[in-house]
Amino acid sequence: MTALALREPRSGPRYWLHSYGAMLRFDFTGSREWLPAFLLVQTLMGAGMAIIYGFYLGRMTTPVATFVATGAPTLSIIPLGMALLPSLVSSHKLEGTYDFVLSLPVPRMTGALSSLTVFTLLSVPGFAIALAVANWRYDIDLHVSMAIIPAVALASLMATSVGYGLGHAIANPQITNLVTNLIIFLVLMFSPIAFPIQNFPGWLASAHRVLPFWHMANVIRGALTNGLVPNVARSYEVLGLWTVGSWALVAWTMGRRR
Amino acid sequence: MTPSATLRSGPSYWWRSYLAILRWDLTGLRMVLPITVLVLSLAGAGFVLAVDLFFGQVPDKAALYVCTGVLVVTLVTIGMVLAPQLIAQQKIEKTYDFLWSLPVPRTTAAFSWVTTNLVISLPAMALALAVAMLRYDLPLHLTPMLLPAVLLVVFTGTMIGYGLAHAVSQPMVTIAISQVLIFLIIGFSPINFPADQLPGWLASVHQWLPFAPMADVIRASITVGVVPDVARSYLVLGAWAAASVTLTAVVLGRRK
Repeated sequence: MTALALREPRSGPRYWLHSYGAMLRFDFTGSREWLPAFLLVQTLMGAGMAIIYGFYLGRMTTPVATFVATGAPTLSIIPLGMALLPSLVSSHKLEGTYDFVLSLPVPRMTGALSSLTVFTLLSVPGFAIALAVANWRYDIDLHVSMAIIPAVALASLMATSVGYGLGHAIANPQITNLVTNLIIFLVLMFSPIAFPIQNFPGWLASAHRVLPFWHMANVIRGALTNGLVPNVARSYEVLGLWTVGSWALVAWTMGRRR
Repeated sequence: MTPSATLRSGPSYWWRSYLAILRWDLTGLRMVLPITVLVLSLAGAGFVLAVDLFFGQVPDKAALYVCTGVLVVTLVTIGMVLAPQLIAQQKIEKTYDFLWSLPVPRTTAAFSWVTTNLVISLPAMALALAVAMLRYDLPLHLTPMLLPAVLLVVFTGTMIGYGLAHAVSQPMVTIAISQVLIFLIIGFSPINFPADQLPGWLASVHQWLPFAPMADVIRASITVGVVPDVARSYLVLGAWAAASVTLTAVVLGRRK
């Protein structure tokens, strides 16, 4: 009977895995609501920007075209984790879903891990579309290596983690909204993703050596081209640090008693 | 109290209604007005500065196109993108029906809305122009034609957004259309770059859409020899203005 099931211990790896599975189902089912609108935005930001930058630049030399084509897929990853996820978390706060999820009898870590898993996976289709469109439009020679798997996985996990951290740490949904819009603006116009960092004034270039955007573009470009990115290892390190830092932020906000 | 027996028609009634509705619009937006002007100004000025990063060494022609095109973007973004969303929001909240129950001529609401858009977008446009002139050594010649060009662009842009928001009954569809519009304006219209950088078919389509003519009339009023045929642009733009006014009149004049 059900009364017996209640007495099962709420700990141990089996319980943990079971909870993780349940949360994954919960998150995937919840995503049906916003998924179509979201895929549109993701495609516009990735594939759309690949084409739009081309209109702005006019006739491009091969190196410039290569930069745009290998930068666009990175652009498609960013809105998912860094804009949609924080606004989703803040709308959950408004609707009370946030407190509901925290009240579920699952380890809190499984809820966080499930969100990170879902959003990291969802970035893959947009990335593939952006890469295909950019490749078709600019007709350049890409050397896709196996490094594309860790590169996309880490870039996407990092973006998701930072967005998740932002959503949790910022209490006011309107501020979250402002921050996400600012990130999109910064990414589209003032980040060395589709353009070489050499184009940037010194102070902005230095800022981008600390911020994650340039490093995201680096690891992905490194996996798509030969010899265009000199020090990929350093970029992996920076992305790793941002990821771990965000997790610490999430752990701190979620672990707090309210 | 006896109800007032003043006449509800005539120019002075229209003018008083217009001022009342304008006060209504501006008061309703007072919380978001400063931030909207600020964001729009930063976006406009930011665009002007960012193009340098796109190119490394920005060619003169590209700089000229972006710096003059950004003015159009700042002028129409509110009217074509934000305003339809605001009206959609009003429909959801039912403020919409309340507004139409007010005893004012409906044209005053439209004119007040155009005025509000002008109030928001002019500072942003001026800032973008100032930043462009400071940052790049552009051959700009400001002529008095800038005034009619700005007025026509704001009027047409606002009325297209206005007509769209009133004609489409589903608020979510309005919001989706306005999102696509912003991508169309910034990315797929010969506003910030010459039309010959678009594929041929898209450039031809733009001869009949309002975006390229908007850019042409503004550009022609502040440059020399860049826009060959501005009369056609005024005609196309005027036709769009007339069409959107007609659409709005039909939709608003309808009994529900």
